[in-house]
Amino acid sequence: MATQGRGEAGAGGRRKGSTEAGSGSQLCCGLFDMSAHQQGTELDLSWISKIQVNKPAVLRRAEQIQARRPVKKEWQAAWLLKAVTCIDLTTLSGDDTASNVQRLCYKAKYPIREDLLKALNMHDKGITTAAVCVYPARVCDAVKALKAAGCDIPVASVATGFPAGQTHLKTRLEEIRLAVEDGATEIDVVINRTLVLTGQWKGSDFIKTSTGKETVNATFPVAIVMLRAIRDFFWKTGNKVGFKPAGGIRSAKDSLVWLSLIKEELGDEWMKPELFRIGASTLLADIERQIYHHVTGRYAAYHDLPMS
Amino acid sequence: MRTGVIGLILSPTFPFLDMMWRICPALAVGCTVVVLAPPASPTPLLLAQLAGELGPFPGILNVISGPASLGPVLAAQPGVQKVAFCGAIEEGRALRRTLAGWGPELGLALGAESLLLLTEVADVDSAVEGIVDAAWSDRSRGGLRLLIQEAVWDETMRRLQERMGRLRCGRGLDGAVDMGARGDAARDLAQRYVREAQSQGAQVFQAGSVPSDSPFFPPTLVSDLPPASPCTQAEVPWPLVVASPFRTAKEALAVANGTPRGGSASVWSERLGQALELAYGLQVGTVWINAHGLRDPAVPTGGCKESGSSWHGGQDGLYEYLRPSGTPAWIPYLSKTLDYDSFGLALPSALPAGPETGPAPPYGLFVGGRFQAPGARSSRPIRDSQGSLLGYVAEGGAKDIRGAVEAAHQAAPGWMSQSPAARAALLWALAAALQRREPNLVSRLERHGVELKVAKVEVELSVKRLRAWGARVQAQGCALQVAELRGPVLRLREPLGVLAIVCPDEWPLLAFVSLLAPALAHGNTVVLVPSGASPIPALEVCQEMAALLPAGLVNVVTGDRDHLTRCLALHQDIQALWYFGSAQGSQFVEWASAGNLKPVWVNRGCPRAWDQEAEGAGPELGLRAAWTKALWLPMGD
Repeated sequence: MATQGRGEAGAGGRRKGSTEAGSGSQLCCGLFDMSAHQQGTELDLSWISKIQVNKPAVLRRAEQIQARRPVKKEWQAAWLLKAVTCIDLTTLSGDDTASNVQRLCYKAKYPIREDLLKALNMHDKGITTAAVCVYPARVCDAVKALKAAGCDIPVASVATGFPAGQTHLKTRLEEIRLAVEDGATEIDVVINRTLVLTGQWKGSDFIKTSTGKETVNATFPVAIVMLRAIRDFFWKTGNKVGFKPAGGIRSAKDSLVWLSLIKEELGDEWMKPELFRIGASTLLADIERQIYHHVTGRYAAYHDLPMS
Repeated sequence: MRTGVIGLILSPTFPFLDMMWRICPALAVGCTVVVLAPPASPTPLLLAQLAGELGPFPGILNVISGPASLGPVLAAQPGVQKVAFCGAIEEGRALRRTLAGWGPELGLALGAESLLLLTEVADVDSAVEGIVDAAWSDRSRGGLRLLIQEAVWDETMRRLQERMGRLRCGRGLDGAVDMGARGDAARDLAQRYVREAQSQGAQVFQAGSVPSDSPFFPPTLVSDLPPASPCTQAEVPWPLVVASPFRTAKEALAVANGTPRGGSASVWSERLGQALELAYGLQVGTVWINAHGLRDPAVPTGGCKESGSSWHGGQDGLYEYLRPSGTPAWIPYLSKTLDYDSFGLALPSALPAGPETGPAPPYGLFVGGRFQAPGARSSRPIRDSQGSLLGYVAEGGAKDIRGAVEAAHQAAPGWMSQSPAARAALLWALAAALQRREPNLVSRLERHGVELKVAKVEVELSVKRLRAWGARVQAQGCALQVAELRGPVLRLREPLGVLAIVCPDEWPLLAFVSLLAPALAHGNTVVLVPSGASPIPALEVCQEMAALLPAGLVNVVTGDRDHLTRCLALHQDIQALWYFGSAQGSQFVEWASAGNLKPVWVNRGCPRAWDQEAEGAGPELGLRAAWTKALWLPMGD
């Protein structure tokens, strides 16, 4: 049984395991859990064998959810701000350096322009993104930039041979150790697909739709199946596992559908940064444009809003 | 050939889609439509106005706003060839009774209840979404009967109640709302049902509370209703879901088929074999597998049993508005003096003419594969064209009809499960046996006054028809292509069950065989009343059938036609009745069929040219001998 990362996340830390949507293994039930927040449960493989998923029916539900709960006007603005507080602002490019990480961290602290927030009377509510997500090598820079901005949001690091996960266990564990030493308090773990495909499971605090680097990332049918699994697990064991869709979420409208999907399937308790994150980078810009339009009634130009 | 003028009667709470699904095919094949709409809804009037603006063809769609009592007036108009009705079962029944004898064919599509069968190997979350679609959305037509396998009962209930908590009721036109209100009548009906169910010991769960004076009725789940309670027998109103458990698939089928309604159903199971077994076994017009409520104009949607026998959509929907070319238009043949209570009630008492022993021992009734003595132990004489005695045949009565129908039901499962090839082989064997008996049959027909040449033709045609229907047995079901669905939709032709046929006096042998052959070819078992004046050729055929056919497949009861017709028409367990007799008899048959809403085919007292291909062996016979079931199989893994 793979138990990589057991106890390595550090006290009070939180791990997230990701499963690849494209490879067809659509489920990852949280089974073992090592963090200080949750008790673990015994692995019961019969739970997995009893699962039935009917794809055409799930596809139908996915289509339905996109049309059924539209949110307009000031309620839409409120939901968009909620979505902002759940974003893991991410930069995972090969050419990341200290300067663009610093820009990202500042944007994480001030995601929406001050005057727009003032117009909505939300400028003193502490609206920031949920976390900043970077490569392990950039964790130092991120921590420094956030401290300079006077912000206490966590730094999340991808680790364990991101995005393919095909490196030795020794180096993967070392990566996590170093990232935590540098100051990361959350780790996005890429699970070992070999172990998944041979049925050897492990647990986590969050489940993520995929690394975000696949051809097909976060789609609604996949999400519906994962959310139903989270709910089943909660009913069976009382443990709440979080959910993070990542990759391909670019429009504000999509983020609203994600929020309403969470609300429909899991309920209001999961609509918080502790249990729901959106892994995105350009989404924030689109949300800001929507809020600009709501406040001023006009469409913003590219240079009107600060870049991240 | 198109039918002519169609009258459409709408019930007070009709869905717009139902109305369009009847008007459009009628117009498409060339009929014109008169709609009787309830005064409270202006939509049909708007539609008629738009149709009137079409220029060259004013008058193809006409709408009258009026009460339901104008229905018979509409049907009585000369030229109205068919009346279509969709609505509640009791209204349909009343309409059937009032329209008996007026002439037009009646097409009924009744009831809105559907069924959802959840097995333990189903995707329960998706099935819960199916329940929401079926019962608590604006697309749902009526209430839902929910059958859940015991192993997943708790799981399903929990998920269902959780999901009910997230449903939003509100103004129907608001896009973010799941279900709206459907008027006071619907709400009162639901309220009454819930109260009765509670008084009979059921558990009622309603998500959220709604003030009692609001027009909205919350989504409601009723469980623990005892199976024998009256509420289980009644139709479930919208927006209620009545849940009951079952243990095995066999029990599920028995419970599901144990109501007089046969509209639509869905089967939820991830095991293909089990899903198909259940789908084929359910007696409903439409079955969805792992889905609910999918509709398409190319797929025939109808029902069986008390859900009426008219279809809309697909090929069958078009046939509703067509009739065979060359048949004359139907005219009213109403006999106001017909007393339904006394028609055919008593056997006419006749003094026996001479000693009981005639030239041959009396024929018995052919029931259960052999000749039996009738219950009343009396016979009636049969005379030839000169008036001299030919022989005696049994005087059948109500008890004999009951026995015949029972024998037919016993033989039905075996015959239905025969492969088409086996059925064809039997029909061909019967044809060969008839051919061997040709001289015998010709001489019998001659004694009845039929010319030698005509008699020979009659026997030859009978043999040919048996062979022809045997050959047509092969083409039964087919796969339809539906535009937005990945996966096939099968159009299955199911046998009706027990078919009762009252044969005409003209062409005694040919009509007998022409009606028997399509009925058997489509998998039905039959109870026949042969021609009153000349039953002996038919009884000769029975002697062949005794050796060839399984027992109970064909049952022949001779006797007084009116009395036997009355027994057959009032019998609740006959699935269809074909009557070729007098006008009064036709009217009685139409009236009495309202009992179990069996589809009837009457000749209104007019003789039929059985030797003509179109009338004796046309596709109409094949269409009437079976009903259509649509089986939806959405695909994907």
